[in-house]
Formats: sequence, C-alpha cells, structure tokens
Amino acid sequence: MNAINIDREVCTGCQTCFEACFVDVFRWDADEARPIVAYPEDCTECNKCQLECPEQCIEVVPDYFGTYWPPVV
Amino acid sequence: MATLGSLGTVHTTDLLIVGGGIAGLATAIVAKETDPEVDVLVLDKVVSGWGGKANKGGGNYAYMVEEDGFDRFLDFHVHNVGDFLEDQELLLAYGKESRPNLERLESWGVHIYRDDAGEPKFIRWMPQHPWRMCVMDQDMTLNMHRHAIKLGVRFADRVEVIDLLKDGERVCGAIGFGMLDGECVVVKAGAVVLAGGNQCYKLMRRWSSARGEGIAAAWRAGAAMRNAEFGSFINWVFSDTKEVCQGAEDCLYNAKGEQISRAVRPAIESDVHSKEVVAWWREMKAGNGPVCANMAENYVNNVVAPAFHDDKLAFRPVSMKFWGLTIGRAMAASTVQGPMQPVLPGFIGEQSPVMVDHDMATTVPGLFAVGDTSAGGSSLAGAVPAPPGRMRGSGLGFATFSGARCAPAALAAAKAAAGEPDAALAEELKARILAPLGRSGTAAPELVRRIQDVMSPVGNSILKNDERLNAALDEVLAIKEQLPHLAAVDPHYLAACHEVEAMALCAEMFFRTSLARKESRGWHLREDYPERNDAEFVKWIEVHDAGGEMALSTTPVPIERYPFRP
Ligand SMILES: Cc1cc2nc3c(=O)[nH]c(=O)nc-3n(C[C@H](O)[C@H](O)[C@H](O)COP(=O)(O)OP(=O)(O)OC[C@H]3O[C@@H](n4cnc5c(N)ncnc54)[C@H](O)[C@@H]3O)c2cc1C
Ligand code: SF4
Ligand code: SF4
Repeated sequence: MNAINIDREVCTGCQTCFEACFVDVFRWDADEARPIVAYPEDCTECNKCQLECPEQCIEVVPDYFGTYWPPVV
Repeated sequence: MATLGSLGTVHTTDLLIVGGGIAGLATAIVAKETDPEVDVLVLDKVVSGWGGKANKGGGNYAYMVEEDGFDRFLDFHVHNVGDFLEDQELLLAYGKESRPNLERLESWGVHIYRDDAGEPKFIRWMPQHPWRMCVMDQDMTLNMHRHAIKLGVRFADRVEVIDLLKDGERVCGAIGFGMLDGECVVVKAGAVVLAGGNQCYKLMRRWSSARGEGIAAAWRAGAAMRNAEFGSFINWVFSDTKEVCQGAEDCLYNAKGEQISRAVRPAIESDVHSKEVVAWWREMKAGNGPVCANMAENYVNNVVAPAFHDDKLAFRPVSMKFWGLTIGRAMAASTVQGPMQPVLPGFIGEQSPVMVDHDMATTVPGLFAVGDTSAGGSSLAGAVPAPPGRMRGSGLGFATFSGARCAPAALAAAKAAAGEPDAALAEELKARILAPLGRSGTAAPELVRRIQDVMSPVGNSILKNDERLNAALDEVLAIKEQLPHLAAVDPHYLAACHEVEAMALCAEMFFRTSLARKESRGWHLREDYPERNDAEFVKWIEVHDAGGEMALSTTPVPIERYPFRP
C-alpha cells in the first residue's frame, strides 16, 4: 500500500490536498484543521496532493512492488 | 406517502450535470453561454475541476484543419482505426469542429500555446497522420472550473449520483448520497447530462477514478448501450513497477532475442493495438517470456514524447512536475537496469457504451451523456476502445465536442417539459442505494478483485474465443449473485459497493457483446473467427434491458450513405 506522510507541524490546514484527491483518500479533521489519510489503500499515486501542497509538507511514498496485479496470461 | 423533501437534501435546477471533469465543465459552460438565465448545477463525487482524468493525462489535443484534408482524416480513420464501424458523419463533424473548439477552450481559460503568427503550435505524433497535435497543461480543468463559476454555474461537491429519477419515461432528476455524511441527496432537474467518465475497473493508476457508475445509472434508467465489446483498452507497463511504458508496442522482444512487434506492426501506428498484445500472449504461452521492451529502440519514448515535452513547443509547469513524479520516479525505482525492460499489458478498459445521437441524447427522454461516458456509444471512433480509440488526443477532443453539442439540446429538452420525480420510486431507490450501510456481508474490494481477475487475462478480453468468453461470463454472473450481499461501513465504502455493481454490469455487457460479434474487427479479435466479416458485421451491437436481463440487437451501419466503404 502507498504511504501518505504529512508533517502536521508544517501543515497550515489549507485543504488543498483534501480537494485535490480524485479517489477520495482524505477526510478532514475539522477540530485540528488537518487532513486525515482515511483510505490509503485507494491511493493510486497520482501525486497531486504532494505536488499541489503549498507547504510541501505531504509526501506520497509509492509501494510499486506491492501493487496487486491480476493474472494476464 | 414519502415526499421528495422527506428523503434528504433536495436541489432544484434546470440542467443537472453529473461529473465535473472536462466534459461536464464544457457542457456547463456552453449551457450558460447559450442561455445565461438558465440554472446549471454540477455534482461531483469528489471535487469538480480536480476530479477526473484530464488533469492526470498527457494533455495532447488532436485537431484537424481544411489544409490537411478532412477526407484524408476520415479515410485514415476508417482504414487504420475504426474499421468501418465509425459514424462517419459524426466523425467528420468532430474533425471540422476540433479547431474552433480550441478557441472555445482558450476562451474558457485553457492556455493554448501559439506561434508568432497566432496559430496553435503543433506537431504530428506520426508524420503520416492527417491531424495535428497541440498540448495543454494539467491546470485546464481548474481554469475551466473558475470560468464556470464566473458564469454562474453552481457546484455541489462530494455527492455521488447513483440513480436517475423519472416522471413516466422521462428523466427529471437524480438521486445519490453525500460522500462525507452518507445522507441522501435528491435533484429535480429539467434534464440530466451524464459526464461521469467511463469504466476502467479501478486497476491502472491514473485511470482508476473511472468506475462506470454513470453507465450503470443510465442502464437502470433504461438507456441502450452500443459498442460495449470494444472496451478492453490496455497500456504496456514495466513488469516490476507497473508504471506505463510508453512506446513498448513497437519494440517488443521475446526471451530468445527475437523482435516480435515488427511482424504485427510493420509501420509505426497511432497507438497501441490489441494485435501486439496477442503477439505477446503467444510468446508467453510458448514459454518465450519474459517479453521485454528494448528501450534503445523505443521510438515513441525516445523521439515522439520528448518532442511533446519540449519547452519550445509549450512550457507546461504542472504537467512536467507531474510526469517527473509519476513515470520518472517509477523508472528510477526500477529493479532492472539497461535497455531491455520486461513489460506486461496493463488492463484499462475505457468502456464507454452509453448510446447517444449527434446531440448526445441517450435513448431515454431527458437524459444525455457526454465525454468518456458516451465516446464508444456515439460510434464516433468505431471498432476501438474510446477514448483514445487508437487516436491519442481524442479524449479531450471528444469531451469538448460532445459537451458543446449537448448543451443546447439538453437545454431545449429541459425547457420543453418539466417533469416531477415520482416520490414513491425515489423512496425505493433511496432504500436500495443505502442498503449496504450497516449490513454485514461481502466487502466491495473482494469483488473488485474478482472482476479484475476475469477482465485482465489477455485470453478473456483481448484474444477472445467462445469457450473463454463463456467461462468469463459465468464468473461475472457468479459475482453478480454476490452483489445483494455487499456491505459498507461508511459512505466511502458505500460508493465502492455501487462502483463494483457498475463494474459487474460493464463486464457482463462486454462478454455478452464479445460473444455476439463472431468476427475480428479493429480492436476486437476472435481466435475462433479470425477474419473481418463485412457481409454480416458492418453493424453495431446494442444492449437493452429486457425485464432485468440483457437483450442484444443490431443496427446496420448506414455505410451506403458514407464516403468510405469496405
Ligand atoms: C493517463 C491518461 C492520459 C491521458 N492522456 C490524454 C491525452 O493526452 N489526450 C487526450 O485527449 N486524452 C487523454 N486522456 C483521456 C482524457 O483524459 C479523458 O478522455 C477525459 O478526461 C474524459 O473527460 P470526462 O469529463 O468525460 O471524464 P472524467 O475525466 O473521468 O471525469 C468524470 C468526473 O465525474 C465524476 N463522477 C464520476 N461518476 C460520478 C457520479 N456517479 N456522481 C458524481 N460524480 C461522478 C468524477 O469524479 C470526475 O470528476 C488520458 C487519460 C489518462 C487516464
Ligand atoms: S497521490 Fe493522488 S490518489 Fe494518492 S492520496 Fe494523493 S491525491 Fe489521492
Ligand atoms: S495541502 Fe499541505 S498544507 Fe494544505 S492541508 Fe494539505 S498537507 Fe496541509
């Protein structure tokens, strides 16, 4: 599974990552004003959350070799 | 007796658009340009402008101009791409509108890169192509979203639409739920446009958001489907990282060191083709694997792609960073060094079968479908998975073309008849839609895997025969039996339940129509019927609901009306 690491100290709670995800990986923690990585198993490593974070405090670590791959032959 | 208001949040609008990707945004903008007074509401299961594929793709936009010959374009397409199953009239209109649509996109905030004379800068993907390719940056949908807001389009994000509401036979709204709270959402609308993308079975990374819920909603509302048998697109991927290996199709080598692409692709073609996947499969079956892409000979990767990414053509800051972190990082992580890189076909699908006419109207009154939802069902591209329909740059093109065509027709439909959704039916739908919440039973990911396992084998979806198709269909029907037992713990997984239902539906449709097309044509290859059969199959296969079962029929392609015939 891909890992999505957020430095909560640096994060300013701008919500860009929460908005940017096209497969609904995040939820929003309104009390703390921070993103929650709620469904990392659905992350497809589009990297938009990381690329668009204005503080560069979110990192997507792809698990290339753990990707489920159905039979092809 | 339920009222709509007792079911959940109710929105009312003239025109409801389901999906805020490029096709939905184009439709919304043209609707507002056509009539600024009209109310347009766009719903997206994630966030409009960010969702969908256009901002995760190559940004290539194919267009045609008079000077290159519209006839040459049609001629090339029917002979090299769609194999005479194109609606040649629609394809010609698409070609002619592709250049004016660039101006449209620009006026909506999409940056078009122009030369000193003011013409779009372009290159040709292959020198022989009678079309031009320009590029756009991945901020295109965010810019369109901003423009749509300025025009007064309303947006409601994180709402997943599952079903359509009707008044008699006419669609007059939709029903779904909020992705954050699971609460029911009802929309009353003059007309509904489905713009939720196509079916890509949640497997390949950047295609993963396309899970076919819009196709399923159209099906349950009674819409006919067409060209479902072509929805088995693939891209070549590196075996270890499963990241796309662009251009592998032309430089495949078996383990004996023999070049295997050349026999099936003597010249460089527009895009990947099912025939080199078959060549790969035969080598693997014969024990001649792994098959490698010889990156030293990879023309697309080494020559074509760099030309597109050249800053002199277009400086695209968003796309450049994106590709660096996706394909660039994956290639750096590869465990295999050197030019010979083992590759596999990565199953995508791109099944887009909602049947539409030239105004993008489905067969159900009040219901329209644009972009990836109806690219195949429009018959524009013929016997290929669409988009890209073996023509790179046609996904953005069809999204814009279909949105621009649809908006005036959908507005006219919305104004012609106001329907009132049947509240009792809406109540039943609400109960069905929310049923998996709180139920114990099968988790959606388990069935997703089973569907991927049946779609992905090349022997099932690329080189087909009666025996394997029937076995695959049996497995899909067994999966279908499990659907009533799907369980969800929260709205995210509730969405997953509906996605898997849509996947099962699309898979069933794919295998049934593949069985019916007893010939090989375009992307559709049958081991047991290896020839193209023009006497019997210059026709479109359509699927209709007949009392809960799939019924198939055919419509002859009106080939005598068209300029190019087999
Ligand atoms: C990797 C990649 C590269 C590509 N490269 C190119 C290229 O270079 N050139 C080109 O022309 N095309 C390319 N394409 C294809 C192109 O991106 C698509 O054809 C185009 O984006 C389709 O737009 P769409 O709006 O129809 O669908 P989508 O982009 O799929 O958007 C659908 C939207 O609807 C929402 N949605 C879906 N279902 C529901 C529902 N039930 N309720 C509410 N909302 C819903 C989704 O969240 C999404 O926002 C590429 C695609 C990929 C994946
Ligand atoms: S990488 Fe893409 S899919 Fe993964 S969490 Fe970030 S935005 Fe979502
Ligand atoms: S984009 Fe960055 S700063 Fe903004 S909420 Fe996400 S992690 Fe925090």
